Amino acid sequence: MTVSTDYTAQEIIVVAGAKVLENNKIVFVGTGLPMVATLLAIHTHAPGLIPVFEAGAVGPPLKHGLPTSVGDSKTFTGASYLKGLNSAFELTQRGFADFGFIGGAEVDMYGNLNSTMMGDYPEGYLKPKVRLPGSGGASDMAASCDRTILIVPHDKKKFNEKLSYMTSPGHLDGSPDARYKAGMQGKGPYRLITTKGIFDFEEKTKRMRLISIFPGETVESIQAATGFELLIADNVTQFAAPTAEEVRMIREEVDPLGIFVKRAAK
Amino acid sequence: MEKDAKMFWTGLSPDEAREALVNKDKSMRDKRMTLKEAVSEFVNAGDNVGIGGFVNVRQPIAIIHEIIRKGFKDLILSFHSAGMAPELLAGAMMVRPDHCSIKRIELAYWGHEGFGLSQAWRYLAERGMIEFEDWSNYNMSARFKAGAMGLPFIPTRGPLGGDICNTSRTKVIDCPFTGRPIGLLPASNPNVGLIHVQAADMYGNCIIRGTDATCAEIAMASAHTIVTCEQLVSHELLVTNPKDIMIPFPAVDAVVKVPFGAYPGACRRHYYFNSDHILEFLGLIAPICKGGSSDALKAWYDEFIFGVESFEDYIDKFQTKKLFADQAAESYNCERLA
Repeated sequence: MTVSTDYTAQEIIVVAGAKVLENNKIVFVGTGLPMVATLLAIHTHAPGLIPVFEAGAVGPPLKHGLPTSVGDSKTFTGASYLKGLNSAFELTQRGFADFGFIGGAEVDMYGNLNSTMMGDYPEGYLKPKVRLPGSGGASDMAASCDRTILIVPHDKKKFNEKLSYMTSPGHLDGSPDARYKAGMQGKGPYRLITTKGIFDFEEKTKRMRLISIFPGETVESIQAATGFELLIADNVTQFAAPTAEEVRMIREEVDPLGIFVKRAAK
Repeated sequence: MEKDAKMFWTGLSPDEAREALVNKDKSMRDKRMTLKEAVSEFVNAGDNVGIGGFVNVRQPIAIIHEIIRKGFKDLILSFHSAGMAPELLAGAMMVRPDHCSIKRIELAYWGHEGFGLSQAWRYLAERGMIEFEDWSNYNMSARFKAGAMGLPFIPTRGPLGGDICNTSRTKVIDCPFTGRPIGLLPASNPNVGLIHVQAADMYGNCIIRGTDATCAEIAMASAHTIVTCEQLVSHELLVTNPKDIMIPFPAVDAVVKVPFGAYPGACRRHYYFNSDHILEFLGLIAPICKGGSSDALKAWYDEFIFGVESFEDYIDKFQTKKLFADQAAESYNCERLA
């Protein structure tokens, strides 16, 4: 297959995100790139993937294209079940969601995410340096989906030992059974996809571990862009560059308007 | 558990909410009125306002325009995820602080998803101009649900583990049945709920298409509810299938027919987003956050809100071709025969 020569950082995230999704599973899809990756997965290897959106739609075929919102009309048409936010989160809390797929602005080594604020916390909570949109449904997905897939653009300023604010709990402090002891359900972060590679969370320590490297990166370059020490899997793989066909699908079929996957400046 | 000095109610306490409903005229009467009348009667300074819809889907935009035209003081906004509704209120506060002020926001998300971040949220928060309390989407919908259930709190897992527990009124207790931690969230009983729906009758029975969002819970929890609707139909037609009724008439105090009442947001079966207009508006706020002039934003409010008498006049400013195109886009999402 022809390898793409002009894919963007967002496009490789979308391709990697799609590949992590498993056919015939229920995935609770957050807004943004998770929606794009979900649609690409449905168009490629996972036609039986069942997306759930927090505004209420369960299992829509998404035949009318990429939703602009998780409450978009495109998520309602053909859905197998459609009520409101309470029902979507209740079924997640009950255990119906195999995966939650969410993004964040800042992540720590245990896969805890921040999408609330940057700055001094708690003193600066009500007057933050940078105010982010807020949890939305991300913290609910983090607390109650069986496993979560995270997307965070890789940047030393965003991969920190200590988060400004923990919006969506991951493996907390990494201690044994930390999630269970906090009252949560689900196994927590399963994969993290960044602009540089794919990570899992090592079973014992729950620490972020590099498992696959995107083209052009090395273990060293990725570590250098991370504000804490990464674990490195024994058998780190090289992630194949997106194919020309995958990139064509993203640009022409999945997100032709560039709603979430921004076009590279010419 | 001991009483906590940090606990407080915004809007109505559970006892006050119960009392308000007991004392309310719940008769099945004609509740049609103008938006001006509805807002003037039911939206007061200091009110906790529950905002329906989800992000830019079926938000009560026409009601928000009327609230801005009238002016508002010290409002508390309660919503899970919202876009243009708080953006318009905040923009009004930025250009007319004498006339418009938000005191506090209880929310999960304020932004526009595919249309970008909320610059007004950043502006107000980063300057310390308002109080706010972060929750998750489920937290807020569950808080409204507790209010609608007539209960003072509701248990959820949503806030556990993270900092939302620490910056909100959440209480984490050991579950009396399992012994494991569980989060308790205080009910939300707003003074007034603002809801836009696809169809209503003159008594306030409502049918909602697409996502229910948390509109029924907000209407049932609030002391008063203003409903705008795309279609005002006969009671007989509306109750053809009683299970279609999402909000029952006693929960509603004002019914106003406002076609395009969620515009430039989307409304299932009626119109899709006018993304140009949303982006144009957001583009006027962004430069102010970087210290630029607010003249262009002021001019927008003067043209589209303060300079017109009604929401109909606002809709009249759009090209018919554009309105048709947004209707056609929704017909594509939701194809229907005739």
